[in-house]
Amino acid sequence: MGDEAKNSSTTTEDVPQLNQDELIMAQQRQIEKEISESIPLVGELESILLLEHEYSNDTVYQEKVRNLSLKYSSIRRTRPDGNCFFRAFSFAYIERLLDKKEEFKAFYQKAEKSKDVLVELGFQQFTVEDFYDTYLDVLKRVGDIENTEEAKAELYTLFNDQGYSDYMVVYLRLLTSGQLQKEKDFYSCFIEGHRTVEDFCHQEVEPMYKESDHIHIIAACAALGTGVRVIYMDRGTGKAVTEHDLPEGCIPSVHLLYRPGHYDILYPV
Amino acid sequence: MANIAAQRIKREFKEVIKSEEVAKCAIRVELLNDCYTELRGEIAGPPDTPYEGGTFVLDIKVPETYPFNPPKVKFLTKIWHPNISSVTGAICLDILKDQWAAAMTLRTVLLSLQALLSAAEPDDPQDAVVAKQYKENNEMFQITARHWTNVYAGGPNVNKDCDDKIKTLADMGVEEHQARVALSSYDWELQRATEQLFS
Repeated sequence: MGDEAKNSSTTTEDVPQLNQDELIMAQQRQIEKEISESIPLVGELESILLLEHEYSNDTVYQEKVRNLSLKYSSIRRTRPDGNCFFRAFSFAYIERLLDKKEEFKAFYQKAEKSKDVLVELGFQQFTVEDFYDTYLDVLKRVGDIENTEEAKAELYTLFNDQGYSDYMVVYLRLLTSGQLQKEKDFYSCFIEGHRTVEDFCHQEVEPMYKESDHIHIIAACAALGTGVRVIYMDRGTGKAVTEHDLPEGCIPSVHLLYRPGHYDILYPV
Repeated sequence: MANIAAQRIKREFKEVIKSEEVAKCAIRVELLNDCYTELRGEIAGPPDTPYEGGTFVLDIKVPETYPFNPPKVKFLTKIWHPNISSVTGAICLDILKDQWAAAMTLRTVLLSLQALLSAAEPDDPQDAVVAKQYKENNEMFQITARHWTNVYAGGPNVNKDCDDKIKTLADMGVEEHQARVALSSYDWELQRATEQLFS
């Protein structure tokens, strides 16, 4: 909305003023770049106990990490760039499907049809196609590899190639937006403020780097036909971490660790 | 990454070229260099607005991170509009900032800018002076915007009253554009504009 800084250029002066909005955006891009250079888009598998080091002075969190390690053996971090849910979710789901060839095939067939669904909803054929082609290309490239471990390695490589990785994120954002709009009567009840589902999609779902909320997760799960278990870890009291299955009652195929503002991927014991 | 941006622009370029808006002469894009990073856009002023009949030229810069970040667009043609700086041509439009989505294109940007010319948003202004006039003296705003369209964008509506007042100031040695800005900012009141210029 660009309302943080108004450039009220007084027309009576000849000196062009610096555009505040642009300065803010430039600074933001700089910060994003610094983060991106330090953390991979999708990290390597790490032992869950390594998390404890992050909280060496914090007994509340240490307790929770130990608690977490009873159920989860490893964690894979993702880059905290606002796309973390979409990136983590699509990586983890595809990675899991690689273990189950039949499910993968069904998923691929569904993905093939997804473009038409989006175009029917009014998305521009031309732009959707761009992302759709890459999305299918990635699925095909990993799906064609016989050996599961090699396929996973290829997935990891592709998800760390900014071009491919961001295209995967965009396409999942589009699918999520499509799902929200397809079932807008249902989702409109969960949107805060006086916004239509379409507005919400344009403002909070389709743009890159916009963070995800419950509603994004539920719609993304519905779009791919699966479920997610989110483990919440914050400074709240109690030793246990809170679990949430989205949608409720699902059998989750992907497990994500949520710490305020960020999602990483978890791997059950 | 630069490669992705260039490939994408190439495809978009074709899209704009064959779009029906181009057939109707409503929008246009041309390349300024071979690497698809600098473009020049053009939009026609929409009918039933003070911009009707004018052609507005835009400077478009495509960042390396396109289409994940928006193109940088500004008006090269001087224009009198609440959401566009009359000094720098900078634009206040959500999709060029935090509402940009990778599924948008140059064509969507040009059409959105055309829509912005039809429906200003004075409560989210880029140019405070213009926005104030738009809200408080809309008739004067219409006259001013039409006059600027005539002078800078080749619009057909000559306003003799405006031209005469500018000439009066020009005869006093004030540069023409500076005179126009002063008069535009003071609702074409010659005396107040003069006071401001010589204060």
